Amino acid sequence: MGRQAAEEVAGRRADDAAKPRGRGGAGGGGHVVAAGGDTELAAELVAGNQDALAELYDRYAGLAYGVAMRVLGDPGRAEDAVQEAFMNVWKQASSFDGERGSLRAWLLASVRNRSIDYLRGRGAHERREEELQPEVAYGEGPPDPWREVALSLERAAVRDAMASLPAEQRQAIELAYFGGYTHSEISDMTRVSLGTVKGRMRLGLEKLSSYLRGRGLVDV
Amino acid sequence: MSDGTRHDELEASVAAWVLGALEPPEAQTIAAHAEGCATCREVAVRLRHVVGALPVAVDEVTPPARLRGRLLAAAAASRGRTERPIAMRRSPRLAPVPRSAAGRMPLYAMAAVAVVALLIGVLVGQIAAQRSQGTAQEQVARFTLTGHEDMAGAKATVVDLKADGVALLDFRGLPPPGANRVYEVWLVPAQGSPVPAAVFVPDAGGGKVVLVNRALAGYAVMAVTNEPAPDGSSQPSQQPRLYGNVA
Repeated sequence: MGRQAAEEVAGRRADDAAKPRGRGGAGGGGHVVAAGGDTELAAELVAGNQDALAELYDRYAGLAYGVAMRVLGDPGRAEDAVQEAFMNVWKQASSFDGERGSLRAWLLASVRNRSIDYLRGRGAHERREEELQPEVAYGEGPPDPWREVALSLERAAVRDAMASLPAEQRQAIELAYFGGYTHSEISDMTRVSLGTVKGRMRLGLEKLSSYLRGRGLVDV
Repeated sequence: MSDGTRHDELEASVAAWVLGALEPPEAQTIAAHAEGCATCREVAVRLRHVVGALPVAVDEVTPPARLRGRLLAAAAASRGRTERPIAMRRSPRLAPVPRSAAGRMPLYAMAAVAVVALLIGVLVGQIAAQRSQGTAQEQVARFTLTGHEDMAGAKATVVDLKADGVALLDFRGLPPPGANRVYEVWLVPAQGSPVPAAVFVPDAGGGKVVLVNRALAGYAVMAVTNEPAPDGSSQPSQQPRLYGNVA
């Protein structure tokens, strides 16, 4: 599609963007968007197709808001963090590389980072470098209607993997990832040495990697 | 310290790094090291795969219904993906409205702004006292405009006096607009083109109180751009870097 044609599509869809739609019910070209995987969705985002943003939201808003609520426990700030994370993906979509990971992983990492920023009172600009797509090669979800089933299975596997860790390793990982604590703060909180905290994090993540890789859930 | 010892020390922190558990200086040190260390880079990539899976364990929570509309309105305002200025929309533009140009106001109007500002404080206080009667949200609404990119330190509080059909904007942290430049305030409907609402120049401290002599009802987003002095532009000439929802 030529640039001019792409802009015409972008402009037309932008005008339609505020119209309410049901889940996966994007109108017009949205049917293509709704049926596509991450790569197709990212291409539509780059083209400025707001139906694609609506589709991304419909797919992952519940998960994104769940992550923000887990970190922040505050509906208002969670709402802001989720909006900023979606806007980050919208603005940076051209940097998406399907080889490095899924849109979902990128989005959720952004939600988590924004939420931690709120928790720590940091401005988003201080994290700009980290807002680039992380190398998170978490498998792209299959198209509907299996997406939700697959997500449910993935959730169960990750929870099982976390539950399989020794309590102190699980605690170190959760305090860092969902609590936003630094390793020094965790060391102080748990009254163990910094080296021990680092070791627990490393061992825990290595075990999770082995567990999930064994179930084909991370592409390593 | 030998290179080997240094490497061992840094590799021990890779897990904390990918979990976001290092202070920024430590994170920068290990990031720089990983650039040139294949071993640490490989470990980081492997562990990041796992960290990327962690949020999947969280239960989904249905967000407030308004969030979807907020997001799409903000995306429409940003126009970040189209690389076109806001005004290049193909829908018909709304007719330009008279501006409340605080930067060019006559003295009586500037005095009026000051009086309104004082009255706002009184009114908001009164309304807060009446909150139990459920009237506050019917008369006054407050919104925040947030700066991004090179305006990340700027913000504005918007007080929408619905009953009076005006809004008061309290800007903070604005950088100087530059020689022969002004800031211009735009109101963006959910569908349609941005409407110019005011032009102004902040004071030396980056602050300014601006009166928008227009009701905010029907608009989704308020945005600010940097435009030529003294009158600004009839259409935005750049992507806004200070904006927020007003619906």
